[in-house]
Amino acid sequence: MSVKKKFKGLSDKAVGWLFIGPTVLLLLAINIYPLIYAIKMSFTNFYANKIGREPQFVGLKNYIKVLNKEAIWEKMQVTASFMFWTLLLQAIIGLGLALLLNRKFKGNELLTTLIVLPMMLSPAVVGVFWTYLYNPQVGLFNYVVNFFYDLGSFDMIGSSTLAPWAIVIVDTWMWTPFTMLICLAGLRSVPNYLYEAAEVDRASKWQQFIYITLPSVLPFLLLALLFRGIENFKMFDMVVELTSGGPGSATELASINLKREAFEKWKTGYSSAFAVILFVTIFGFGNVYVKVMNKIKER
Amino acid sequence: MDTSRSYLEPSSFSKKMAAAIIIVYAVITLIPISWMVMTSFKNVDSAISYPPEVLFEPSLEGYVNLFTNRSRQSQEYLDSLPPPENWYEELVRSREMVITGPSKFLGRYSNSMIIGFGSTFASVFLGALAAYAFSRFRVPLKDDLLFFILSTRMFPPIAVAVPIFIMYRKLGLGDTHLGMIILYTVVNLSLAVWLLKGFMDEIPKEYEEAAMIDGYSRLQAFFKVVLPQAMTGIAATAIFCMIFSWNEYAFAVLLTQFNAQTAPPFIPTIIGEGGLDWPAIGAGTTLFLLPVMIFTIILRKHLLRGITFGAVRK
Repeated sequence: MSVKKKFKGLSDKAVGWLFIGPTVLLLLAINIYPLIYAIKMSFTNFYANKIGREPQFVGLKNYIKVLNKEAIWEKMQVTASFMFWTLLLQAIIGLGLALLLNRKFKGNELLTTLIVLPMMLSPAVVGVFWTYLYNPQVGLFNYVVNFFYDLGSFDMIGSSTLAPWAIVIVDTWMWTPFTMLICLAGLRSVPNYLYEAAEVDRASKWQQFIYITLPSVLPFLLLALLFRGIENFKMFDMVVELTSGGPGSATELASINLKREAFEKWKTGYSSAFAVILFVTIFGFGNVYVKVMNKIKER
Repeated sequence: MDTSRSYLEPSSFSKKMAAAIIIVYAVITLIPISWMVMTSFKNVDSAISYPPEVLFEPSLEGYVNLFTNRSRQSQEYLDSLPPPENWYEELVRSREMVITGPSKFLGRYSNSMIIGFGSTFASVFLGALAAYAFSRFRVPLKDDLLFFILSTRMFPPIAVAVPIFIMYRKLGLGDTHLGMIILYTVVNLSLAVWLLKGFMDEIPKEYEEAAMIDGYSRLQAFFKVVLPQAMTGIAATAIFCMIFSWNEYAFAVLLTQFNAQTAPPFIPTIIGEGGLDWPAIGAGTTLFLLPVMIFTIILRKHLLRGITFGAVRK
């Protein structure tokens, strides 16, 4: 270690702090401070639009209000079912596509790049554009559906039974490539000798798939679902522009409701309590999920 | 070796089947994007015709409408005007309207550029410094710090938007370019640190150690040896940060309004007479999404790493 003294300039320790310092400071100022501020506000009856009024401490009142409100549980249910269907569809289609792409046919790199395009686009702008595709009078989506199976006129966004599916379809269209890419990486990480050994032992293709392929892809698939789960729990932009939570509150996800409470009704104290609850939920579930995922990986 | 592996290779029939299914999927998945580009070249009437027109006479009306504000005028007034000076004025006049001025689109687009480039530069610069320190030095509580940096990405943006809104109002940063640049820099920092740490881990330590034995200080070694070596990684990271800032909507819609509003909250507000002006929205969308599509093609080798924060590398 004494070798280091030979070098000129700042010591490694000083350089280390100099390099990490700004990042940590910025994160503290723009991320952690607002979070603490939000936690503080969640115990008050603060309204951000009423500047002059001194906020009062109300204890856990906001939290009790949020948790007792039936509408909040409805939003959570909408969010949960959105997450369930998007993750399920993206897992199945994504894994399926990855298995096909892994056959390494000619041109699969080009096709992979093309398939990946939707997920890089701006979700809000994608949301706007899909309102056109879903338009009950002139939409391409409606035309194509009617071309294959005559449903007559139907309104994906205007109907409260169809709207939840409208957002599931767009999210699946956008994000299936994400699971696909990660599963593909998993498939390519399986060493060939495993299959060779299985061939020698006369294992059928199906057995090879169940005992070699699936267990090796599973950790990758679970990782992809973790990322998508966190993102879809926070989902805001695409759905706001597509359905703005409607009709009624059929597609009002937790984040959209939070935005309404915080920036339209300006119930800062109440919405902060809701935000803290959401954050704790996502953090808690995330941690449990990672633990389970690591257990599966170890097996 | 080759013969021993051959039975693992999928049969040519199964390869062809796989290719066929993938091509069908690719075509379906690209329909919405191509439809958007096509719509941008339609005129207002053919954009709302049913059944949807696949073959149509191309028109630049959407682009003209995107870049101009127009108002409807009576035929007498139009007749009293001098003849149109250029093709786009003629196009607008044929719709019984006159151009009243440029629209806000260009301003919103350049806001997206300024904020995107500014925040990308800052987050990649700060991220590279932090990543280097995490990659090379013994930092106390390293794993906790790295996890802390990652966890900031889990916050729902709306959850911290109110405090940031209040904080920015106090500091005079609300609806300013600087405020948005700082905000996006911070959001991108976690990605930049994690990705760049992975790239720097791959550069052998011996490089800079050799340079330091030759008399470089640690800082010189970092700037003159490590950074050039990490250039590919830095470029890939920068593109990811740029795409994020470019696409971001939640903070933009809540914290900006007139001055620093970016394109994503603006594009949905392009409204023509009697509803949304689809060709203009198509045109705005096309111009907005085009850079990202080009970036994606450039990035394809690093895509996986970027979307998983470096968790999956190959």
